[in-house]
Amino acid sequence: MKISRMRKSIATLGAAALVVTLGITTAPTAAATPTCTTAAGVETCKGSLANGAGYEFRMPANFKGVMFFWEHGFRSTYPGVTAVPKGVEEITPTSDLTGQNVTKEMMLAGYGVAAYDGTVKGLRGWNNTFRVEMLKEVIDIAMAKYPRIQKKVVYGSSQAGSIITPFVEKYPTYADSVGIMAGTTPSIANSLQSACDIFYILSVFADPTIKGCSAFGVKGVPGHMASVGELQKVVALLTAWSKNLGAPGLEFPAALKGSGIPQRSALLLTGLLTGVPTKSSHMDGISTNAVIAEHSINATVAVLQNIGAAVATGVLAGQSISESTGPNFYDNTQTNWAALLDEGDAGRYNLGLSGDEAIAGMLGVLSAAPRVTGDAAAVAKFKALDKSTFTSKHPTILLTLEADRLVFAGNTARYVDKKREVYEAELAKWEASKKGPKPIWNTLSLTTMTPETYTKFTAAGLPDLTGPGAPSGVGHQTFTKKQTKAWVDMLAVAARSGKVPTTKYVEYLSTKVPYLSGDSDYRPADLKYNFG
Amino acid sequence: MRNRASLSKPSRGLVASVAAVLAGAMAFTAVPAQGASTPGVSDTEIVLGMQLPQTGPASPGYNKVDDAMRAYFDYVNSKGGVHGRSIKLVVKDDAYRAGLTVSTASALINKDKVFAMVGSVGTQTHISVIKDINRRGIPDLFVNSGYSGFYTNPKKYPTTFGGLGTYTVEAKILGKYIKETFSKNTVGIVYQTDDFGRNTVEGLATAGVTFTPKKTAATFIAGTQAGGLDAQMQQLKDNNVDVVVVGAVASAFAAAVSSANKIGYKPAKWIVISVGADATTFQTILGARGIAPAVSAALLAGTISASHAPAPGEENDEFVKAFKKINDEFNKGPDKRWDNNVLQGMNIGYLMTSALLGTGKNLTRPGIISYVKNNAAKLSSAALSPLGYGAKTHEAYTGFWIGQYDATTTLKPVDSPRKVWTTDSAKGPVTELKYTRPAIAADALPKVG
Repeated sequence: MKISRMRKSIATLGAAALVVTLGITTAPTAAATPTCTTAAGVETCKGSLANGAGYEFRMPANFKGVMFFWEHGFRSTYPGVTAVPKGVEEITPTSDLTGQNVTKEMMLAGYGVAAYDGTVKGLRGWNNTFRVEMLKEVIDIAMAKYPRIQKKVVYGSSQAGSIITPFVEKYPTYADSVGIMAGTTPSIANSLQSACDIFYILSVFADPTIKGCSAFGVKGVPGHMASVGELQKVVALLTAWSKNLGAPGLEFPAALKGSGIPQRSALLLTGLLTGVPTKSSHMDGISTNAVIAEHSINATVAVLQNIGAAVATGVLAGQSISESTGPNFYDNTQTNWAALLDEGDAGRYNLGLSGDEAIAGMLGVLSAAPRVTGDAAAVAKFKALDKSTFTSKHPTILLTLEADRLVFAGNTARYVDKKREVYEAELAKWEASKKGPKPIWNTLSLTTMTPETYTKFTAAGLPDLTGPGAPSGVGHQTFTKKQTKAWVDMLAVAARSGKVPTTKYVEYLSTKVPYLSGDSDYRPADLKYNFG
Repeated sequence: MRNRASLSKPSRGLVASVAAVLAGAMAFTAVPAQGASTPGVSDTEIVLGMQLPQTGPASPGYNKVDDAMRAYFDYVNSKGGVHGRSIKLVVKDDAYRAGLTVSTASALINKDKVFAMVGSVGTQTHISVIKDINRRGIPDLFVNSGYSGFYTNPKKYPTTFGGLGTYTVEAKILGKYIKETFSKNTVGIVYQTDDFGRNTVEGLATAGVTFTPKKTAATFIAGTQAGGLDAQMQQLKDNNVDVVVVGAVASAFAAAVSSANKIGYKPAKWIVISVGADATTFQTILGARGIAPAVSAALLAGTISASHAPAPGEENDEFVKAFKKINDEFNKGPDKRWDNNVLQGMNIGYLMTSALLGTGKNLTRPGIISYVKNNAAKLSSAALSPLGYGAKTHEAYTGFWIGQYDATTTLKPVDSPRKVWTTDSAKGPVTELKYTRPAIAADALPKVG
């Protein structure tokens, strides 16, 4: 299980954080001319942006005019979990699961590709404002160097959703099509509020010493170490549950001690109230055996695995974000816990939640538990993060995992909803006046699904969490090569045509690309919050 | 290791992928957007979808409903279909696992392209897909669940219509009977702590039958009954409960009876919500525990339950006669023995055919939803109660008669002549229903309009 790897990472993180010196900043310098080499029909050029960040272009001899600009996802503020990159980490979309990218395929298709290091020096973390300008600089350099570029595709993953969306609104001529893979909406506040809820709920039911997001926000190494301390508490809980599957009765709060409600019911409730997927890399939410006697227990282990795999990145991202909002950005004084439990989930997972009486009991104690009151200014900053107008007219293609453990699939639904609001308002205006070109709907959401069942059990009957997981639909930024290439190809054609593909084409493509859904009306579960 | 771009060794697959891109590029512009035709409807066929447990612990009894429905549709098809179209029923087994309900619903919608869902079975399973089915505007007709939450707020689930009376209505009617008949007894309940059990307790409470938690009210979590209900039965026994109401599925009723026997607890009367008292299911479950049919029949005998339709054993009922004949001739399922499940399947088939006929030749999803909502009086069926569909509720049958199982596992009315009672899923009174069921035609096909 990934938790063991995570613990090692945490140890490394702690040690590394102590040796971080005061923020290193480099005075901006003029971008240097890139150094280029050619091999096997591909010209590779490397250079530095004005702030010292590295960038890279790869231009195939058979270039057909479409250049792709890649925006990678989150890298933690303080080195330690991963090494500080020396140069460009990802030149094209790369699976977090297999490490495979589609560079070779893109070169063969005649696409040019570009990427830059958005994690340079002091700019790591939730550094979107910087990266919007860095991306512009990368494109400016590429356009100057390669006048043959006819069309530009701006695409990226995860945090990149919070960079690309405002980018194309600010610089609309810098993109001809837009791709967002497993991306944020762009507002991160909705997702982060749920992440903070996870800490809070666990503090009520499992470990009252957890402060969660209330411990975030102090700048520098002290703040970083405080967040790592919270991470360690959660990892300890998850480690225990991974061994006993949450079977022991609740010890907290006092009102529920001795109630007979198993800890796993509180864990499942935590997942359902916060939107954690009930499918994970190894748990399909369906398969049962003598130990996992009911599907909702399978789903509970999925919640455990998903939180375990996402918590480190979530904590580090949360701390990074909180450094810009200030401490105490989390406030749950207005949270209606009962309203966060979907009626369908309460029915579907009734046994895992230990029935209606246990559900009522757990929601009751949550409702009565002391709330977290945030700092008004920090809360306001938090809710205002990464706002966007959704007015971009670029053909935009979203690619989402059915059960993304980190950037929940509901981000995509929220993005589409926001875009649709703008589109329908414009359409209504046009219908009234019939002036100018008729607005077109130019957003397409693609989802990669999991197989129907894939859970395997060990000889002892326990879930096997170590073998190969689901081949699709789970993890984060874990698309298969075929799925990624299909997305890239659609972005290229959309850049030329100015339109997203038809639903009929997607339906056709779904027969060729394993686990790519052809259901154009698919909608994942909504995010739990909408701060506008 | 991550791949490095190279053009030096282009593989056959990669060349093919370039070709696919070009083909894809053409397809982008060459293929028009999806047309406005109604999914699942062609000039010659109407495709309907259904989900139910065909396998697994929850399947006994329920797994006969689909074959009965298909038999009725095959009969209709043999008579020329509906407005010249034959009816095709595509059934998916969800094994009563909600995750499979979600994936099989997706398959029915996206691969089988069904026009409507019809007769799907199960509360915990259907609650997992009802929101999505409604969001897509797919008719979700005649659901085999009595959970009132699916039907009593049509704004929430506008495309969903019930196929059973609600548990609340049934519990209110049984509650009236309990108040009148067992006022000198100590009445207790065992119920599952979910939507089904909650509906039952609410309905009984509205009728004035209430219980004391941990004393006369014993609970269990749905899905745990396979391990027995010994503790629950012991609790009721210890509290001198001599009339036990069961607000739970048939496997739980069977478990309760087994556990009561085991601890020597012999309540004077069992009163069971109808889906929990299905004789076939009850006997199949006990049979799997080695209890002979004669013994399980004896255990069921005397149990009070309710029904919206005639009992399958009512040989002289014209619907029973007609459906039984169709079942004999057209049912190709592995177990076509005539029982309550087969009758219900036939009845849903009849109801669906009525709805299709009434909607007319120009069949659309909004069209059939509107027709069902606004024409409940025209949608006759075997039931002894009218349908409640309308603007304010999508409940099906609002009337039940009360019966008692005899030694042959036939539910016989407690009144003579039989009285049918009616009420709503809210706080309305329980009153006697005066309703004359429209006769079935000689050809056993519904006549609409």
